[in-house]
Formats: sequence, C-alpha cells, structure tokens
Amino acid sequence: MSTRVSDVSREALVRPIQARSKGFLLALLAALGAIGVWAFFYVQQLEHGLIVTNLGGWGSAGGVPWGLYIGAFIWWVGIAHGGIILSAAVRLVGLKTYQPVARMAEMLTIAALTCAGLFILIHVGRPDRLVTSVIPAWPWRVQWSPLTWDVTVITAYFVLTGTYLLLTVRYDIHRLRDSLPDRLEPLYRALMVGYSEKEDAVVERLVWWLAFAIIIMAPLLLHGGVIPWLFALLPSMAGWAGGVQGPSFLSIALTSAVSGIIVIAAAFRRAYGWQDLIPDAVFRGLAKWLGFFSLMFLWLQLQQVMTGIFAAPTSLQHATEVKISTPTYWLAIGLVGLALLYIFASALKPSLFSIRAMVVACLGVLVGTLLEKVLFVVEGLQHAHFDLYAGVPGVYVPSVVELSALLGTVGIVVLFFLLASKVIPVVELHAIEGDHEEVDER
Amino acid sequence: MTDEHRAPPAMDDPDYWDRMADVLDETDHDTELGLEMARDAQRLVAGEMTEAEYHEKYHDAVLTEFGEDERGLDLSMADVAEVDGADGGLTERVEGTFDDEASRREFVKKGGVAAMGLSMLLGGGGGDDEAAPSTAPAEASDDGTRWGMVINLNNCDGCLECVAACKGLHGTSTGAHWMYVMAYEEPEAEEENFFVRTCMHCGDAPCEKVCPVGARHTREKDGLVLSDYDICIGCRYCMVSCPYGANYFQWGEPDRPMDNENFTHDERGRWVDGPPPEGVMGKCTFEPAWQDGQQGENLVGTTMCEQACTRDAIHFGDMNDPESDPNQHLAAYEAAHENDTSEFENRPDDTVSTFRALEERGTDPGVVFIGDEPSPEARQVEGPVTYEEQGLVDDRKSGVLDQGAAANAEEEA
Repeated sequence: MSTRVSDVSREALVRPIQARSKGFLLALLAALGAIGVWAFFYVQQLEHGLIVTNLGGWGSAGGVPWGLYIGAFIWWVGIAHGGIILSAAVRLVGLKTYQPVARMAEMLTIAALTCAGLFILIHVGRPDRLVTSVIPAWPWRVQWSPLTWDVTVITAYFVLTGTYLLLTVRYDIHRLRDSLPDRLEPLYRALMVGYSEKEDAVVERLVWWLAFAIIIMAPLLLHGGVIPWLFALLPSMAGWAGGVQGPSFLSIALTSAVSGIIVIAAAFRRAYGWQDLIPDAVFRGLAKWLGFFSLMFLWLQLQQVMTGIFAAPTSLQHATEVKISTPTYWLAIGLVGLALLYIFASALKPSLFSIRAMVVACLGVLVGTLLEKVLFVVEGLQHAHFDLYAGVPGVYVPSVVELSALLGTVGIVVLFFLLASKVIPVVELHAIEGDHEEVDER
Repeated sequence: MTDEHRAPPAMDDPDYWDRMADVLDETDHDTELGLEMARDAQRLVAGEMTEAEYHEKYHDAVLTEFGEDERGLDLSMADVAEVDGADGGLTERVEGTFDDEASRREFVKKGGVAAMGLSMLLGGGGGDDEAAPSTAPAEASDDGTRWGMVINLNNCDGCLECVAACKGLHGTSTGAHWMYVMAYEEPEAEEENFFVRTCMHCGDAPCEKVCPVGARHTREKDGLVLSDYDICIGCRYCMVSCPYGANYFQWGEPDRPMDNENFTHDERGRWVDGPPPEGVMGKCTFEPAWQDGQQGENLVGTTMCEQACTRDAIHFGDMNDPESDPNQHLAAYEAAHENDTSEFENRPDDTVSTFRALEERGTDPGVVFIGDEPSPEARQVEGPVTYEEQGLVDDRKSGVLDQGAAANAEEEA
C-alpha cells in the first residue's frame, strides 16, 4: 500500500529553506554579533596570552589552571553526546514519535562538538602547536594520556555523526530536489555524488549499524567514559577521583541534550508554524525523558554528597563540604529540580503542560548543568589532597574574555542551525508518515 | 612530634665516643680526625665556636683525607661573608641564630651539624652499607643514576635563600617559584615547621603519564623529569595531575627571556630549562645542563638550591648511590640520632622520621624528607623571612596574573 506524501507536508518540510522573515535576519544578526564579541576578546588572548583570563596555577601561584573553558567544553560535549544518543535510539529502536527531532539532534551534535573542539583550541597555551605536537605524539601517547583518548574518540565521533547525517540527508535531497533553491545546486550536486535509489536500502541498514555503534560507544566511551576519565582517574584531586563520575557525567549529558533539543524544536515549531510536523506529543514525550534523566542527575549528585560527607577521608570530606556550602551549586541543583517538579506535576495533571513553560524549564536546566560542570572543574582543583598552600583554594571568577567564548559558542550553534536550515530539511522526510512505504515500492 | 623523638645523642657519654671510634676504625679514614671533628662540632653547637671557624679548621684536613670538602658550600665562610657583604649575609645569619634563645628545637637542629664530622668520615669511607641505607625508591631501577634529594626539614629555617637563588638562576617570571619553601603550623601546635617543595622528579610521574604530546618526559639517563618547551601545547594537564603543585605556567611573556643555550638546552639538545616561552609549562629541573657537565665538572651533582642553602638542609645527588651526598647525610643523621634500645631491643635503630611526600599516591617521588610530614590539617603561615623581604612575589595570582595584559606590558617595559 502506498500513501503518497502530500504536497502540503512537503511544503512544510522545506518551509525554512524557502521562507524569508525579519525574525530570521534578527536571529542571524544576534548570532553574528555574539560571535563578533567573542572574536574581539579572543584576539586579545592571542595577542597577550592566557594572562588575560582569570585562570591561575594551583599551588603557590594560587587559583585554578582549568576553569570555564574546560567546564564549557564538557558541557558542549555532553549536549553533543546526549543528542546523538537520542537520535541513535530513535533509529535503533524505532521510536517513531521522535523522528521529527532526530535530525535536529544530529545537527545539534555536530554544532556542539564543534564548540567543544573550539574550547580545547582556546584553552591551550599554544594553539599553534595543536597539529605539529599532537599528531606526531599520537601513536605512543594514546596508550597513556586521557586527553589523547579524548581527542581520538571525539574525532572518531565527529566523523561518525557526520557520515550518519550525510547518508540520511541524501535520501531527502533526492526526493525534495524540486523544492530546493537552485542557487545551491553545486552544493547539492556535491552532496549527492554517486547517489542512486538502490543505495537507500543499504543506507538504511548502514545507518542502523552506525546507530548501534553510537549507542555502544556513547555511554561506555564518550560521556560515560573518556570525558569523566579526564578527571576521575586523577587521585590527587579528591572531588574528581572515583567511579561515580562516569554515570554522573552521562546523566548530565542526557539532561542537557534533551533540554537543548526541546528548545531548538520549539523554536522551529514556532518560527515555521510546525504544529503538525512536530506535534505536542513529541514535547510531552521528550519532557518525560528529561524528567527521567533529571532524576538520575539528582540521584547521582545525592550519591556523591552522601559518600562525601558521612565518613569520607579528610580531603574528600572537605571538598564535599565546600561544594554543598556553595550557593551556585544549589542554584544548579535547584534549576534541574524545578524542571523535574514541573514535569512530574504536568504528568499528573496534563493541563499544566505548555511548550512555553517547558522551554523555560529547559533553559534553566541548560544553565544548571553548565554551572554544575564549571563548579566541578573549579572546586575539584581547589581542594586537592595536598592542601598546604595558603594560595589554595583562592578565588576564581571567569573573566570577560572567558565568558565571551561562551556567548560566542552559543552564537555558533544558532548560526549553524540558521544556515543549515536554509540548505537541508531539518526534519527528515521519514518523519512524514507513510513516506517509507512510498520509497519501498519504488 | 615528641621531644624524645628528636633527642640528640648523649655526647657526654664516654661509651658513645668509644662506639664511634670503633665505627671509624672500620673505615679507611683517619679515626683521630673524625673524633676531633665530632668534638669540635659539639663546641659549635654549644656556641663556643662559629661554623666559619669550624670550617676553616678542618678544611685542609678534609681535603687531604678525601680530596674534596663536601660540607655544604664550596666557598669558605669567610669568602661568603665577603660576597654577601653588609646586607646580613650568610655568616651573619648563621651566627645570628646561634645568639638566639636556644630553643630546644634549634638545639636539636644543630645536633645535625654536630654529627657532620662523623658523617664525613663514614661517607668518605665508602661501601659501608649498614651506615648508608639506600633511599633508592622501590620501583626505580637500582642501575644507573637517579638524581634526587634528601631534604632535612629539621635544618631548614625558612630563610628563602634557595628560593631566591633558584629564581635568579632559571630566570623564572615573577611569582613562579620552582623551588618553594612554606612555613606551616599544625593545628593546636605553636611550633613553626617548614616544607621545602621542589619538583619530586617522580619515578612514576603523573604529569608525564597524562601529557598528550610527550613534552613532559623522564630522561632515561638519570631520571630527571623535564618539559620539552618546543613540544608543549600548554594544556596544563600536568599541572592539574601533579599532586604537589610543582608546575608553573607561563601565562604571558616571560619577564626575562634567556638565550644561553648552553644552560637552557641539555646534552640531547632539547630545550628544557630556563623561563618557558609564553603558553608553555615549566617547573623545577634539577639543572640538567649542570648534571650534563655543560657548565663545568664542578657543578655536576649539585643544584643551585643546594649551593644556596646555608643550613645544610638540601642534599642533591644520586639516590641509587649509597655514597652520594643525600644518602650519606641521611645515614649520618640517623647515626647521630640513635635510639635507646637498651630496654626495648626491637625499637628501630634511630629516632629519625623520614617521608616521601604523598608517596601513597603512587608517584615514587625522588625526594626524601627528614622531618615530620605535614598533616592534612596543616596550614601555611607567614615564615620568619617573607617572600617580599626576599624581593619575591608569593601570591602570583593577585600579584601578577590579576593584572592581566597589564602585567605583560610591565614585563615588556
């Protein structure tokens, strides 16, 4: 049986590509402005060195050598990993409900990984040596340095996600070609090199295996592995070491990623009148997932706090006491807790649910997870086992230069979505019911 | 820390001298000279004789006996007084402490000096394994050289001479103290203690393990843990993983760039010493160019901080060699602090407390400390000589880094 895709649905799908609006221009200008502000400050950092940040050296020099840059790095990687886990789960288990947001999740992954990479670039003292030093040392350092594992896995992951996105987008471009702008013809031709409809079935199987690989890799190696291992494997910092960091990082990744996807999906829905394309059910379902991941996040925080204060070794106890007496920590926990409360309440009483309120809750979660990540990095460094130095813990408040990078990377993600939505459909054709059968019969 | 723990040997006990004479007889060296030096050392402690006089009296004899005089400084105390001149030089400071109210702690410290005469002979005697228990770390190979230190915290008086000398030699930027001395207090104890923080040149260095580019490395030849300034990408993972806080990052332009390749580059031609370039990590090096003989044979086997130390606290040498200065110092110190086993014969031979800082972190540190390890509750306090008095900046964060780019401009000016 074949159900042809209605022209209305196709029109909806390519609406962002064809539409021109003042809102789009404003968003574009805001994104470029944010990137511009960051570029201005980053030039200063390039000129004078990292001395323009508020970082310091732990020890007699006081302060923390890792700060917002690394906290934001983990945060972006978490969003990326959570995003791709969600998208892979959709393909692997066939969670049809979420198919309208699967591609947005993949795009978010690409954009967020780019930002994470940028944070590494701006964090190091010698960005000019990233290629000349890292590549020659890779074969023998990869067996030791967690940072090398990190770079390796993130690169592999970037390639995997890119392949995944490219393969699935070819299917759509081929079928929507007539509705796509002619001026981008060379780009489409490049994307479609060697395409034939015979590949669709193969690609579908290939994508399933890619999703399978991502699902295996992400929790074990990515945000449940190499990223937390950057910290969890160091015995000298009490707040970092230990096996709980893997699950804890993963819970934060998933929480922030689902929040990010909800925000982006709501923005597209509002901007392009996609009430039919991304129905309420998608948001209600995502909210339940967010509630579950938030619960995991809070539960793992509880585990760390309890084991850290009951009868912990001196340095861990100290680190935990400092953490729970930091107002920012409770702000982070509170923001996630509030989102959880709202989601539970609206599950009990569905009339309480609104997408607008959900977006606000999600923005709160995004801020909360970022705060928690930065605090984790900074406070972890401030309370080491060797706690003799008068200059430690010291004070760390991110400088304007560092904060501007956060603004800049948010700008990059927004810009990426704005531009990409002008080139490819951000909701895949498969999401429109029945399209599958149509393809199968061809 | 109990007083008994650090009690000096009962030198008025005739049996003590007989025992020492027996020990000395077993060596190839002059027993009479050893005993005379030990007796005079006692006078030194009692204040009847200055260290300069002591040094002068035995300098020739020691040279004749051993061919070298390793008692601390190469210069005689008279020379030092001349060099240091009017601003409270070394001699003055040493003598000054003798005039101070001789607290028990001070007395105990100087008990170490009293044992020097004996230690020289035992050390020079060579090959007496019992007298020189190896401090070689368990995991390190016993073959070859492993440069390290024995730092006698009981001798340290917090004068910061080593800190200033290190900084002068290596040209590190303001607030970067590769050698760092901390005065600290334990809770509910009024006594001031010192901790001398070098790089520990760990046998299993966490900083090396985490380095993504292999810039931080251990020299196979002698176990020195060094940074290759040409490779480092400045990720600061070494700084984060070092449990001692021994790393100092070059946040801006170096204050005083150094272009003396004969010092900054070791014999392998790698740039590992001097102030690191902007964006690169540096730390205490134990002077590889000195150890490689590039600065003259007389500097092999010593470091700037060791030379600058007026209190015989820092002893640099090959930790795998029982006859090296650090091992000999420890042996002599232990010999001078014999335990009373007459009643309880299972007691340890000596009352000397030693430790390797944070050894339980699995780092296999190459520095052995004599003294008590700071407890987790210990807190750094202002020492008898402040960093400011030495013309140094202690708090690099507020003193330099918080000025941001302005600090750079100042350095460039």
